Amino acid sequence: MLKLSGLAVASAALAADAGQPSPADYTLDIAPYELEAGPHRTIRTIAYNGQVPGPLLRFQEGRPVTIDVRNQTATSEVVHWHGLFLPSSVDGAMEEGTPMILPGGRARYTFTPRPAGFRWYHTHIFAGKDLHKGQYTGEHGFLLIEPRDNPARYDQEFFLALHDWDGQLLASGDGAMDPAYEVSTINGRVLGFGEPLRVKAGEQVLLHILNSSPSEVHWLALSGHQFRVVALDGNQVPQPQVVSMLRLAPAERVSALVEMNHPGIWVMGEVRKHIMAAGMGIVVEYSGSSGKPQWDQPNQLIWDYLPFAAAGPSSPPQPDAVTIPLVIESKFAGHGAMDHWTINGKSYPDTESPILTTGQRYRLALINRSTNDHPVHLHRHSFELRRLAGHVQVRGVLKDTILLDAGTQVDVEFTANDPGPTLFHCHQQNHMDAGFMMIFQYA
Amino acid sequence: MRNWLCVVALLTALVGVKPLRAQGNYEIQVYGADTIEPKSTMVELHSNFTVDGQKNVVDGVYPTNHQLHETLEITQGLTNWSEVGFYVFTSWQDGHGVQWVGDHIRPRVRVPDSWHWPVGVSLSTEVGYQRAVYSPDTWTWEIRPIVDKYMGRWYWAVNPALERTWHGPDIKQGIGFSPAAKLSYDFSQKISGGIEYYADYGRLGAFDSLHNQEQQIFVVTDLNVSPKWEINIGVGVGPTAGTDHLIIKGILGRHFNWKKPSLLD
Repeated sequence: MLKLSGLAVASAALAADAGQPSPADYTLDIAPYELEAGPHRTIRTIAYNGQVPGPLLRFQEGRPVTIDVRNQTATSEVVHWHGLFLPSSVDGAMEEGTPMILPGGRARYTFTPRPAGFRWYHTHIFAGKDLHKGQYTGEHGFLLIEPRDNPARYDQEFFLALHDWDGQLLASGDGAMDPAYEVSTINGRVLGFGEPLRVKAGEQVLLHILNSSPSEVHWLALSGHQFRVVALDGNQVPQPQVVSMLRLAPAERVSALVEMNHPGIWVMGEVRKHIMAAGMGIVVEYSGSSGKPQWDQPNQLIWDYLPFAAAGPSSPPQPDAVTIPLVIESKFAGHGAMDHWTINGKSYPDTESPILTTGQRYRLALINRSTNDHPVHLHRHSFELRRLAGHVQVRGVLKDTILLDAGTQVDVEFTANDPGPTLFHCHQQNHMDAGFMMIFQYA
Repeated sequence: MRNWLCVVALLTALVGVKPLRAQGNYEIQVYGADTIEPKSTMVELHSNFTVDGQKNVVDGVYPTNHQLHETLEITQGLTNWSEVGFYVFTSWQDGHGVQWVGDHIRPRVRVPDSWHWPVGVSLSTEVGYQRAVYSPDTWTWEIRPIVDKYMGRWYWAVNPALERTWHGPDIKQGIGFSPAAKLSYDFSQKISGGIEYYADYGRLGAFDSLHNQEQQIFVVTDLNVSPKWEINIGVGVGPTAGTDHLIIKGILGRHFNWKKPSLLD
């Protein structure tokens, strides 16, 4: 068994290795799986523990945990613990130095989970043109690091994963090839096929929603109800807001309370019609109600990070923050190919590796000069939104992934407080595979 | 070199040039497998000028030399796997003025994306009439399989078309074989260039001699300035006696979408 141990618990891990291995807290088997997504709709994929999404992992913040991972596929694998502050050796990215798990091999991940909140875990391998590998598969699962205090009072909670399947490369409007999908699901099922969310009138329901799609942004609405967003990417927002719909870019999470005050049978689903038609929806069923699920089609798409930011005048950039401009551009590779991507003119692995100083505050000026939106993700750290498109200064919203709209600039700040190689990349699988990736190094 | 060209020109004039089929140099295009999406229309103007063609009246057919052909093609998307196209063929020539030549209709179906085929495949069939002074065969039918694929910067398409005359001197000829093919390369996002090949081998199973076959090679460029526009320009040579020897062609297309733009669709 390959041993992957977080520095914080290295001694405990070594002790376990010296004698009989102690049983792990959790085990994940990565293996081929046939997902029955809908009637006559079976998808051959790869999954954790024979289920999509993988098992919900609940960790206690600050309490060390061990997870044994067995790779029963023909491809080397690695599990990334998305949104956690972990040593590079166990974060789950080969580019940072986490060892790959060979086909037929095993690994033990040992780490101390933090920070509290709604996180997730997923594969972090190269897929390239193979739209049945990497994040195109069912290799994703929820991870909740229990806080000492819950962000909100609720009667029951549901975890929902939005995912797209059966991708193929098709010509897109910008002249390049992009993945397009046949099937879209919530928790691996098309609308009407899976179990409904069963609720009772008067309940407060906490929804933890993850967009695990390899490349698609999703918009979600629950007919007859509104969402009170309390956390983004697992981090409590300064100002919870009531909204009619949610937008989640790949890898983004939203935690939202819903007051179940409108009894009936409702649909929660993708607002865009063609994705709803591909299956992305789930029935919400009040106890004692019957009839056909109701869907009220919204007539516009509404989402903004701004209302969740701290109230009052926003402070200017911290004077001691070092600005690192990152200019994102595409490189045409042919009408029959996916675009290549550059950060400051270079594609990974030739991208720059800025050297960070521990304790220093950094401001990433994310300048998107392409015609695509990009959900950019920073490993092993959270960042604070500081400037949104349209030059809006904000503060207080902590995230690990943000959607960078085409042709706009967003600034985020983070403190270099977790030494080790740190990956920054677009979370669209086809973009990160085509060069949209870089490593920050610590001095 | 100049002497050699003079000899070729003289031989060509002596042997003569076989009149092209009506749609042959009215719509000079290798079809791609994709179809027009539903609730949208593609309007194309095909402009072809025969710089060096048949100079004599043959079997009552006007000479093609210095004919300017303007063809209006309107294609309406029906479903995400079918379309239908209509053609209006016209010809301008010194001494004849602008003349209506004929009309065709062309339904087409394709393999839907959901079948996940590794190449694009569609099947087109075309039926129509053309006046006898432009083509001795006045009613013709064509079935055209289409296979294509983008591979990085490369694109290829083949159209092994089969033709049948319904009215005219070739009615007893049976099925004719008229393949077309294209190979192009993306020099940039907006500029592609390549070659297109058009031929009419004659009857299946009893091809004409090479001398009498139609054989044309075009050097073409496609300008991808916008998803709404289609621009194709080319110069073609026909080395055999049965072919117009030099043609300049152009296609200008405009895509009209009748759906109300909505982010919700």
